[in-house]
Amino acid sequence: MLKRFRSVFRVLKSRSEFERGMTEELRFHIAQYTDDLVRSGMPPQEAARRARIEFGSLNNVQEECREARGLNPFDELIRQLRHAARLLRKTPRFTVTALATVAVCLGANLTIFAVVDSILLRPLPFPEAGRLVTVFNTYPKAGVDRDGSSVANYYERRGRIPAFAGVAMCSYGTAVLGEAGSSEREQIARVSPEFFSTLGAGPVMGRSFTDEETSFQNDKVVILTDAYWRQHFNADPQVIGRQLRVDGLRNTVAGVLPPGFRFLSSEARLYFPFSSRPEDRGSGQRHSGGNSKHMIARLKPGATLAQAQAQIDAQNATLEADDPEAKMMADAGFRSVVSPLHADHVRTIRPALLWMQAGAFALLLIGAVNLTNLLLIRASGRVKETAVRQALGASRLHVVSEVVVETTLLTLAGGLLGLAAGAGGIRLLSVLGADRLPLGSHIAFDARLACVAVLGAVVMGLALAVPIAWFNLRGRLASGIQSETRGGTPSRAAQSLRHGFIVAQIALATVLLSGAGLLGLSLERAMAVSPGFRPDHVLTAQISVPWNRYPDWPARLAFNERLLKDLSRQPGVSAAGAVNNVPLSGNSGKSAATVKGHVRQPGESPRGHYSYGVDGDYFAAMGFSLREGRFLAADDSRRSSRVCVVDEDFARYYWPHSSALGQHLFEGGEPTTDAQSFTVAGVVGAVKQAGLTDQTAQGAVYYPYALSGNDRLFIVVRTSLRPESLGLALQELVRQIDPELPVNDLRSMDTRIADSLVEQRSPALLAGIFSLIALLLIAVGTYGVLSYAVTQRRREIGVRMALGARPEQIRGQFLALALRLLVAGEILGIVGAWLTGRAMRTLLFQVPPLHVATLATAAGIVGVVSLVACLLPSHRAARMSPMEALADL
Amino acid sequence: MGKTAELLPGTLDMLILKAVSLKPLHGYGVLQRIRQISGDALEIPQGSLYPALYRLEHQELIAAEWGVSENNRRAKYYTLTVAGRRRLREETAGWNRLASAIAAALNTTPEGV
Repeated sequence: MLKRFRSVFRVLKSRSEFERGMTEELRFHIAQYTDDLVRSGMPPQEAARRARIEFGSLNNVQEECREARGLNPFDELIRQLRHAARLLRKTPRFTVTALATVAVCLGANLTIFAVVDSILLRPLPFPEAGRLVTVFNTYPKAGVDRDGSSVANYYERRGRIPAFAGVAMCSYGTAVLGEAGSSEREQIARVSPEFFSTLGAGPVMGRSFTDEETSFQNDKVVILTDAYWRQHFNADPQVIGRQLRVDGLRNTVAGVLPPGFRFLSSEARLYFPFSSRPEDRGSGQRHSGGNSKHMIARLKPGATLAQAQAQIDAQNATLEADDPEAKMMADAGFRSVVSPLHADHVRTIRPALLWMQAGAFALLLIGAVNLTNLLLIRASGRVKETAVRQALGASRLHVVSEVVVETTLLTLAGGLLGLAAGAGGIRLLSVLGADRLPLGSHIAFDARLACVAVLGAVVMGLALAVPIAWFNLRGRLASGIQSETRGGTPSRAAQSLRHGFIVAQIALATVLLSGAGLLGLSLERAMAVSPGFRPDHVLTAQISVPWNRYPDWPARLAFNERLLKDLSRQPGVSAAGAVNNVPLSGNSGKSAATVKGHVRQPGESPRGHYSYGVDGDYFAAMGFSLREGRFLAADDSRRSSRVCVVDEDFARYYWPHSSALGQHLFEGGEPTTDAQSFTVAGVVGAVKQAGLTDQTAQGAVYYPYALSGNDRLFIVVRTSLRPESLGLALQELVRQIDPELPVNDLRSMDTRIADSLVEQRSPALLAGIFSLIALLLIAVGTYGVLSYAVTQRRREIGVRMALGARPEQIRGQFLALALRLLVAGEILGIVGAWLTGRAMRTLLFQVPPLHVATLATAAGIVGVVSLVACLLPSHRAARMSPMEALADL
Repeated sequence: MGKTAELLPGTLDMLILKAVSLKPLHGYGVLQRIRQISGDALEIPQGSLYPALYRLEHQELIAAEWGVSENNRRAKYYTLTVAGRRRLREETAGWNRLASAIAAALNTTPEGV
């Protein structure tokens, strides 16, 4: 079989050469024979004639030779392709419409598929990535759904969970690299020794970290990514053992990672040991995971997720026996959850992506239906020709293959344009911020996608061919020859098929439009949510202050104080403050706070609250509103006064009937001595913490900066000028104080809010674009079918007009037809939209799944568009002169 | 045309393989060679020779190469491939078995039954 293909392929590669060779060979034969005949005494002219006669028809022999060489199907295919191309060229309007439809629909699908494929479908780039899992802690009843595994968890689980082949920890951060004056800030990750072996991909040069390197005394070693090694070490093969300054301290290079190594969405360019103090590893710290630590593990071959989960649960139960906090954690609903790493990492965007793919697919369906209708109309125009050809002996196979060739040619050409559209679409997505999605930077336009495009185009071509082939083969020949010509009536089956497709199209468009409307409305409502502070005219930036050069809180506070004082002297600045985490950063962690005198009722679980450390005029800078008492001032921070501010949600929960002022609370889950308590000095308005779409009022506590225990530093400045214009001044002021401190993540608060909505905005925008295309498609579709109906029935119209029908009656007849189709389509569409709305509830924000106004608007728009598309043909029908209509009787 | 025998169906391919196995030949040469080795008994219809040659080439039993004929014209020469040689051996054996079986059957006398 393979041999034959090879042989055919060889010939096809140089088809013209084959033909030339064959002609030459046959001519040679005839010439030789002629020569022989002449030699035997025949006159040359007679000899030539004899030779040709005895050889037979040259054409027939050549045809038989081609067949013997297995070329016939290819010749036929090429002939049909030429035929199809000629027909398509003859109807440029149809061809352009069809190509644009295919290109747009396939392009939209490719764009979304590229995202779905790179984020959801492709396995993580590690061997047997399906066995990688992550483990996190959850305290649902305390309002903390997710908290990273703690260092203690890691040391307790290492080697003790039989289902795991390896357990590792990692956390992300930044570090300042290089000598003073030429320092650069880099993204880094801190990983435990078995991190690389758990992933199954590790240093290609040098080694992984050792257990000894997980203490703060011995952790000055670094593993470089391939990119960093090439860029900063010139790809030095002797790099192992060389020194590198990290945060001002000498580190030794221990290894280099393979090219392209990347853990999930991490941008880390250097890896350091995940070091911890011995006290962090003890059981007392079991529940202090926090948001920044991640545990990963690899299931042993054959071990299941359920086994691992059961073993973790069993271990937790054993460990809780002697845990003083066990009761409280049990009340909080504590559990450790084992979850597949990949699925867990992309869980937040999975529904939105799948819905986008569904939307794109709906668009493809509309386009395909549209195209089918146009093709059916085209086939109706050729029904006589087809019937005659069948009567003259064209085989059914031939009729079918001709249709398949034509539709596939269309979809393939459209598919190539669609590839270009898809490439553009991916550009658009990256403008929309797709690379900020989890694994978003993996989105690529590659050969795999091109294959999918070609495959999609072929499948679409075959699918389109089915109804057309059915139409061409259906029915008796005689009626085919007569139908849709004079004296014939339109074929009922073909007509109801066309009308059914219009109904389907309208229904799908209504569903798509209403879905887009719901998403848009959700986005609008999310954007309209007041964050609780005044985000306008606020600039924020993060500065990382290394501990080795600012070794204690007073030194750090002194830095804050100087910077904030300098900043407040800048023109236009009305307030400057510092905080260890800005709201809506996506990193807001919750921790426990205990209110003095509050006794938990039976069934009441402990609550996690957002906790912040603030310095300077943070509240004024961010634009908080004061409900009671006072804000924390720079003085509170400098003197580390044991005062705090709570938000109104917190105050309402704990002191519903009295004032919060003067009350005492403790940081952490247990009350300690009075000297450790904080006095509530003020109550501020609640703000949105994790995102604008936060639904729960979890409560927040603001402590003086040095007492919050979190050393991150965000600077927040309120200015009367454009906030971005202050960026350079801020960087310059920091440089004056300490040239080694890099400033990054400079963004206005408005930008942060807009960025925090990327997961809502992109789907809404894409759905909007899809809807617009869908509207265009239904306009084209309805117009096409109605115009055809008018053309087809022009004789009937002519007769009626000649008998005295008024133009309005004719127009009314066609509009009534359009209206019937519209109503049927919209009834289906409304049902579909309702079901879709219910199914996509998780994507909606403050919008009910059945939002009557949205649905009515969607139905209305679809209605108006399709009616307008009908007006033109109906109008033409009404204006038709009876003479003209009857002329071709 | 004289005394020529009708060609049995399916034997043309075998004869072509045999002719080509003796020496590389062009199409016209194949025709002459068959006539010669059959003692002028077999006449191949000229029109059916080339489809058969192309079929055999397609099956990679013979290979074609352009060369120069005895009177200095460009001609396509066919040679036997390894697969062709094997096929010729099989067909020859098969034909001999068939021929001797048929001969034995036709030579049977009443006494022999």
